[in-house]
Amino acid sequence: TVFNDRHFSCEDCDGCVSGGFDSATSQIVLCQNNIRQQSHMNRVVTHELIHAFDHCRAHVDWFKNVKHLACSEIRAANLSGDCTLMNEIARFKFGLKGHHQTCVRDRAIRSILAVRKVSKETAEKAVDEVFDACFNDLEPFGRIPHSKTDAKRAYRDFKNRDRYNANL
Amino acid sequence: QPPRTCEDYRWEWRHCRGLRHAFHHYYAHGELPACGRWREDYEACRAWESGRAAAAQEALCNSERARVTEKQKYAPVWTLRKSPPPDWYLPLDQDKPT
Repeated sequence: TVFNDRHFSCEDCDGCVSGGFDSATSQIVLCQNNIRQQSHMNRVVTHELIHAFDHCRAHVDWFKNVKHLACSEIRAANLSGDCTLMNEIARFKFGLKGHHQTCVRDRAIRSILAVRKVSKETAEKAVDEVFDACFNDLEPFGRIPHSKTDAKRAYRDFKNRDRYNANL
Repeated sequence: QPPRTCEDYRWEWRHCRGLRHAFHHYYAHGELPACGRWREDYEACRAWESGRAAAAQEALCNSERARVTEKQKYAPVWTLRKSPPPDWYLPLDQDKPT
């Protein structure tokens, strides 16, 4: 479980960072000076919650294993709505067929380079090595939530998971 | 009883065939979605609920088990924990400089 007053912190941040996850304190940081729209806030919270979820459910070596970091960044970019067509168009990145995956890959590399002192080649190699496994890891949703309907369905599947597992 | 309600299978099938979902699937995967499997699952579910047909039960369970197996296709990148990190719920020392 995540609690607002324990796992979230609103702070002023340098540069144009929107948020981050601090694994040392298990806390999500939201950059109050860089988030100005509700839709952006929703996206950042979802993105950081994916990191928090990964930290909670797995032994993620955030600092020494680039592949672990890459995996969580791929999942966060994939599942948070970072890479919707509209967001990409707003960034002047145009593409349609499978462009979501291009966006996820690029944003994961960017995120790694923003938080770790590694070369671009190292970041790219790590992302490419874990991409298939991590792009297809859709926990906790079980699907890529493209809309509120998808999110509600994912929650419904979660609530019915006992019945599902018992009747396989 | 079936793993999901028949209404859930019907919903997934109709949702899969919708235009919005087709667009999102093409954008994410580079191809249009295949929805026939949801239809088969829905029909198997109806057969199960109405006549308790053994063949339908088996077909549906096999289909769902295959879905679970597909999700486990890739070796995990990390090892899962058995419980949350020890400091997950511990209060933070707010006065400590970060």
